[in-house]
Amino acid sequence: MLTIIQNTFREALAKKIFIGYYIFYAIVILIMIFLVNMDSVEGVMSLADSKMLVHQVETGFLTISWNLIIFFSLISTASFIPSMLEKGTIDLLISKPISRPMILISKYLGAVLFVFISMVFLLGSIWLILSLKSGFWDPTFLLSILWLTLAFAVMYSIVVIIGLTTQSTVVAILVNFFLIFVLCPVLSVREAVVFSLVTNETVRFVFDFLYYLLPKPGEFRDVTTSLITGDTINMWKSSSNAETGLFTVSWLSPISSVLFLLVTMAYSIYFFSKKDY
Amino acid sequence: MHVIETQNLYKEYTQKFSKQKVNALNDFTFNVEQGEIFGLLGPNGAGKTTLIKILLAITFPTNGSAKLFGTDVKNHKAKTKVGYLPENHKFPSYLTGEQVLSYYGQLSGMRAGSEMNKRIDEMLGMMNLTQWRKTKIKKYSKGMMQKLGLAQSMLSDPDLIFLDEPTDGVDPIGRKEIRDILAQIKSRGKTIFLNSHLLSEVEMICDRVAILNKGDLIKEGNVEDLTKAENIFAVHTVETLTMEIKQKVLAIDGNAGIGEKEINTEAGIDKLNGIIDTLRSGGVKIQSVNQKTNTLEELFINVIKKDNTN
Repeated sequence: MLTIIQNTFREALAKKIFIGYYIFYAIVILIMIFLVNMDSVEGVMSLADSKMLVHQVETGFLTISWNLIIFFSLISTASFIPSMLEKGTIDLLISKPISRPMILISKYLGAVLFVFISMVFLLGSIWLILSLKSGFWDPTFLLSILWLTLAFAVMYSIVVIIGLTTQSTVVAILVNFFLIFVLCPVLSVREAVVFSLVTNETVRFVFDFLYYLLPKPGEFRDVTTSLITGDTINMWKSSSNAETGLFTVSWLSPISSVLFLLVTMAYSIYFFSKKDY
Repeated sequence: MHVIETQNLYKEYTQKFSKQKVNALNDFTFNVEQGEIFGLLGPNGAGKTTLIKILLAITFPTNGSAKLFGTDVKNHKAKTKVGYLPENHKFPSYLTGEQVLSYYGQLSGMRAGSEMNKRIDEMLGMMNLTQWRKTKIKKYSKGMMQKLGLAQSMLSDPDLIFLDEPTDGVDPIGRKEIRDILAQIKSRGKTIFLNSHLLSEVEMICDRVAILNKGDLIKEGNVEDLTKAENIFAVHTVETLTMEIKQKVLAIDGNAGIGEKEINTEAGIDKLNGIIDTLRSGGVKIQSVNQKTNTLEELFINVIKKDNTN
């Protein structure tokens, strides 16, 4: 397993897209170093002000970049499965005394681990810069490393299943683009926006069904920012307060997304184990 | 225990667009013993690669069973002592020759360390690739890639090696080197399962061959036995044959081919002896009597033609 994970790392590092990916991260880090100012006009801010400002910068950064980071990570890793399935590569891999589920899981974990390390680099650096500048050391922002990696892992399971069935990197990327930037955001606001326009029960059922079925990468972000700011998180259902306008997220989104990941990967493993190459 | 054992293997494919069923293997039963170099022959689409893929569980049979070292191929542990060089293999292009061997060595169950490094040195040396060990393989020629593939298949010192077109793209000197390496492996009691289009090469290397056509096993046996042409003899004489002798020979075998100093007969041992008696009684000195042999290529073409006619 470690051998395949290690080779997935090598494959990732050999791709030029990763150089671009890291240059982009480095630019973001440099912006944080030189452009973010934590000093107040009078001199030093109070701890409460610092805390609020740091949280605002952190959650603001996550709100803007969350989906983009997931999508960039998917673009850079989407070719791993189709390239593994190329004739002459897959034959050799299967001919080794390793079970097929182990091959697929190792490849999957290799990609997830690589993205995790990239997140440690990016988000860890941002946390360090903000903490040094503000003097406010709050480790909850580091949870975003895990949550972003988990959101990526969920979406990457879709790349795996599409890669296995179509052997196409492009299809996998397009489907993910559609899910991350179109379908999932629409489904997230179905109650507030879509249902105010659509009264048909069947259509409403379809929207609800898709919402609960599909992963919710954007809502992982809401859970993460709530954890950072210390806001309440409901257990099963998100809610919004009409008076204050405050939106409260629920644990349902990550739970159903992880279930989606498990079901998708289980089917991928079954498919890969039965397929003739 | 047989090294390879198959029982009534049957493989049916459904074509993607026409949905037509194609039989890639029909009721295929055969065994390979330890220490043999076994050659698999057949025209394109005969089922050779399908057979190798079934034996390595890359493809699954529709029916029947296959075992390696007595273990069902469905169990991945059956491949512990197996090496494989696929046709048109593709190694990760971002690796160096040395890294390729290390990667596939570890996948074969070898532990990274001095023992494996020693084996990598040995393999690279054997294939004359030592000076290229640190070079990315995308810079390798076809022949070098083939040699690296062969090194990869032998790295973990497997007891059984499947080679699919091992000399493909290799120059004649390289081919000779590969043949010598295979002979060396065989002398160490290893089993080699060879799939090659180069029949002369198979004839030189293999102990036993199987010929496949349209998924059927149509001939199997020792190379020596298969290439012997039964009842075809050539008699060479010292003197030039006279017209009288020629007529006497034709009286014995009307189909005999007669040259100035040579008689070819396919009429069997009795008539051969009759011809020899005639020559001797006519005072003709005999230089040699040989039983003719077919090349594997001749045998292959005849067998395939006959099967296609049937």
